[in-house]
Amino acid sequence: MNIIEIKELKKDYPLGTTIVPALRGVDLAVAEGDFISIIGPSGSGKTTLLNVIGCIDSPTSGSVKVGGREITALNDTQITDIRLNKIGFIFQTFNLIPVLDVLENIEFPLLLMKKSEAEARKRAEKLVEEVGLKEFSSHRPSELSGGQRQRVAIARALVTNPDIVLADEPTANLDSVTGASILELMRRMNELEKTTFIFSTHDANVLKYARRIVKIKDGVIEKEPAAA
Amino acid sequence: MNLILTIAWRNILRHKGKSLVIGIILFTGAFLMTLGNGVISGMAAGIGKNIIDGFMGDIVLVSDKQKSDNILLEMMGANIEPITSYKVIKPVLAAQPYIQRFLPAGKNLAMLLDENTATPGFAYLIGVDFAEYRKMFPDNLKVIEGGYPAPGDRAMLFPDSQRPEYYNFYNIWFLPEGGKVVKDNLSKEALADIASLPVSSSVVMLGMTSGINSTSDIRFPIKGIMRYGALNKIFGHFCLVDIESYRDCLGYITAADMAAQVPKEEKELLGMEGADLDSLFGGDLMAADHKKASVNTSAPAAVLPRTEDGAYNLVFIKLKPGTGYDKALAGLNRALSDAKGGVRAVPWNKASGAIGSMALIIKSALFIFVMLLFCVAVIIIVNTLTMSALERASELGMMRAVGAQKPFIAGMFLGETAILSAVFGGFGILSGITAVKIIPLLRITTANDMLQLLYGGDFFNPFLSLSDIALTVLQLAAVTIIAALYPMRVAARITPLDAISRD
Repeated sequence: MNIIEIKELKKDYPLGTTIVPALRGVDLAVAEGDFISIIGPSGSGKTTLLNVIGCIDSPTSGSVKVGGREITALNDTQITDIRLNKIGFIFQTFNLIPVLDVLENIEFPLLLMKKSEAEARKRAEKLVEEVGLKEFSSHRPSELSGGQRQRVAIARALVTNPDIVLADEPTANLDSVTGASILELMRRMNELEKTTFIFSTHDANVLKYARRIVKIKDGVIEKEPAAA
Repeated sequence: MNLILTIAWRNILRHKGKSLVIGIILFTGAFLMTLGNGVISGMAAGIGKNIIDGFMGDIVLVSDKQKSDNILLEMMGANIEPITSYKVIKPVLAAQPYIQRFLPAGKNLAMLLDENTATPGFAYLIGVDFAEYRKMFPDNLKVIEGGYPAPGDRAMLFPDSQRPEYYNFYNIWFLPEGGKVVKDNLSKEALADIASLPVSSSVVMLGMTSGINSTSDIRFPIKGIMRYGALNKIFGHFCLVDIESYRDCLGYITAADMAAQVPKEEKELLGMEGADLDSLFGGDLMAADHKKASVNTSAPAAVLPRTEDGAYNLVFIKLKPGTGYDKALAGLNRALSDAKGGVRAVPWNKASGAIGSMALIIKSALFIFVMLLFCVAVIIIVNTLTMSALERASELGMMRAVGAQKPFIAGMFLGETAILSAVFGGFGILSGITAVKIIPLLRITTANDMLQLLYGGDFFNPFLSLSDIALTVLQLAAVTIIAALYPMRVAARITPLDAISRD
C-alpha cells in the first residue's frame, strides 16, 4: 500500500516578475515502511519535493496524497494536524527550541497532541536513551554539539510514532562518524517501527543505507537507480 | 497551558533587554493609570463631598419657569426664578422616604452699593434661616470673626475671601458688628493701611432680578465673617443673609407681607407670576429705589413662625445614604408634578453648572491623558513584540512545522505579554496605590480655584476604591491584549517555510 502518491506535481516560485519552476511534473509513489533517498544536484528540487510531501509547502498544481488524504484540499489547521500526527520532519539545521532542554524538545510534539505530561515524559525518556543522549537530558540546545542536536531532532521527529519521517540532508552539517550513527539510527527505527523514511542527500555514503533511490534533476524525477 | 507559559517565561528571561523595556513601559503606564484613576476618583469624591455635603445637597428644586438648570454661578448672574409654592412642596418632600433633609433658600445676585463713591460691586446672596442652614450644612463654614446671627436677626455672614477685593475696590474693610480688626486676617494692602483703616459693619445691597419690577436696597448688618471649609475661593462669592431681608432686597413677598394679609391680586403681583412690571412703572424705578436706601435692621422678628410662607428660589435636598440617585430623582419629579408644586428636581452636578462642568472637563482631560498613556504604551509594546516575533521567525516556523497550530503560537505571545503585565504592571499598580495613600498625608494645598476643583478640596486628596483598582487592572488587561494582538497575528502567520527560508 502506498503511503504517498504524487501525480503531476508542479511547484513554481515567483522571482520578481519571472516564475521559476522548482518541480515540473513529478510522479512518485512511496510504499509504507520504505526507506528512500532522494538525490540530485543543488537546485534540482529535492527540498521542494520534501517540503510539499511534508505539508510545509503547497503545490502549484498536481495531486499529493499523504496517508490517502489529498493535502491540496486541506486548510491550514488540517495540514498542521497532519504534520503533527503523521509526519516527522528532520531539518538540515537542527531547529530545536532554544529555551527548552533536550527532554522538553523531544516531548514538545506529544504535548501539542495533548498527551499527558507523564506519558510524554516517559516516551521522551525512551527516545533520548535510544539516541544516546540520556546524560544530556537537561541540557539546552546551545550546550550540545551539532551531532547531538541532530540526534535530538531525530528523537523529536520519531517521538510521535509518525507514519513518515522526512529528513532534508540530515547529515549535511555532521562529521562522517556522527552522520553514520544518525543514519544507523534511522535505519533501525525503520526496521523496528516500520516507519517510512524519505531523506534527501548529496552524500554518496548515505546512499548505501537507502533501499530505494529517487533521482531528481531540474524538477523532474529522472530514474530510480538500484538500491545499495 | 503549562507548556505555553513555560516557553513564554523562558523567552522573557532569554530576551531580558526587550522584556525590561516592555516591563518599564508597563510599570510606568500602570503606575500613572493608577495614580490618574486615584486623582479622578479623589476629585469626584471631593467635589461630591464639598458641593453635596457643604453647599447644595444631592438635588436642588428650581421653579418650572427657571430656564437653566445651572443655579450656582451662571454667566452674568442671570436671574433665578422664585418659588412661591413652598407650602405645597414641603409636605411632598417630607413624605419621601429617601430624603434625609431639605432646606428652602433664596439665591440671586445683588449689587453692593458704596455710599461714598456710588460705584457698584456685586455679590451673590443666599437667603436662609440660619439655624436651619447650620442643620443642613453643619460643617461647611466657620465664623472667624463675630458670631452666628441669632434666630430672627436680620443679618449677614460676610465671606472672608471677598474682604480683600472689596477693600481694594472701595477702600473699606468689613468687620462684624462690635468686632475689632484682626491683624492676622487682614490682606496685605489692608495691613499696610492699618493705622487709618476705614472699616464698616454693614453692607448696602440692591437685589438684582430681571423679571421683577421692584427691588430694594437693604442695609445688612454684618454679624460675622465666615470662611467656607472647602472651595472657599469659589463659594466665597456667596454672602449668607436671613431670608426675610433677602426677600426685601429682591422685592419678593415676605412672611411679614403674608402676615399683613396682602390681597390675592397683590400677592400674585409680588409672587412673581412672570409679569414684567417694569413696563408699567418705567425703567428708572431701580434708580429711585436705590436712592431710598431703607434701613431695616430694626425690623421685628415676629414673622419668624411663618417664614416659609414667603418666596424662595431653591430648595436644597440631601438624600439618605445608600439611596439610588436616579430612581430618587425620577420619583421626586413625579411626586412634585403630581402635587403641582410648580418646581422640578435638578441633580447637583447640573445645578452646580460651571463647577460641575469644570469637574467633568478636568475629569475628561485626565481620562484622555490616561488613554493617551495607554496608546503610547500600546504602540511601543506592539513594535517591540512585533520585532521580537520577526526575529524569532525561525523558531516559530519550526514549531509550526512540528505541528503547533496558530492559536498555540498566538497564545505563547499573549502569555509573554501577560506575564510581563502581571509582574511589571502589577508592581506599577501597587506603587500607584502606595502613592495614592501617601499623597493625602503630605497635605498639599493650593489657593488656585481650578486646582482646588482638581484636588476636590483644600488639599490634594486622591482616593482609590476597590472598583477603581479593579478598573485599573482591567485597563492594564486591555493594554496587554491590545498590545499583543498584532504581534500575535504576525507570529501566527509565520509559516514553516519561513523558518526554512531563513536558514
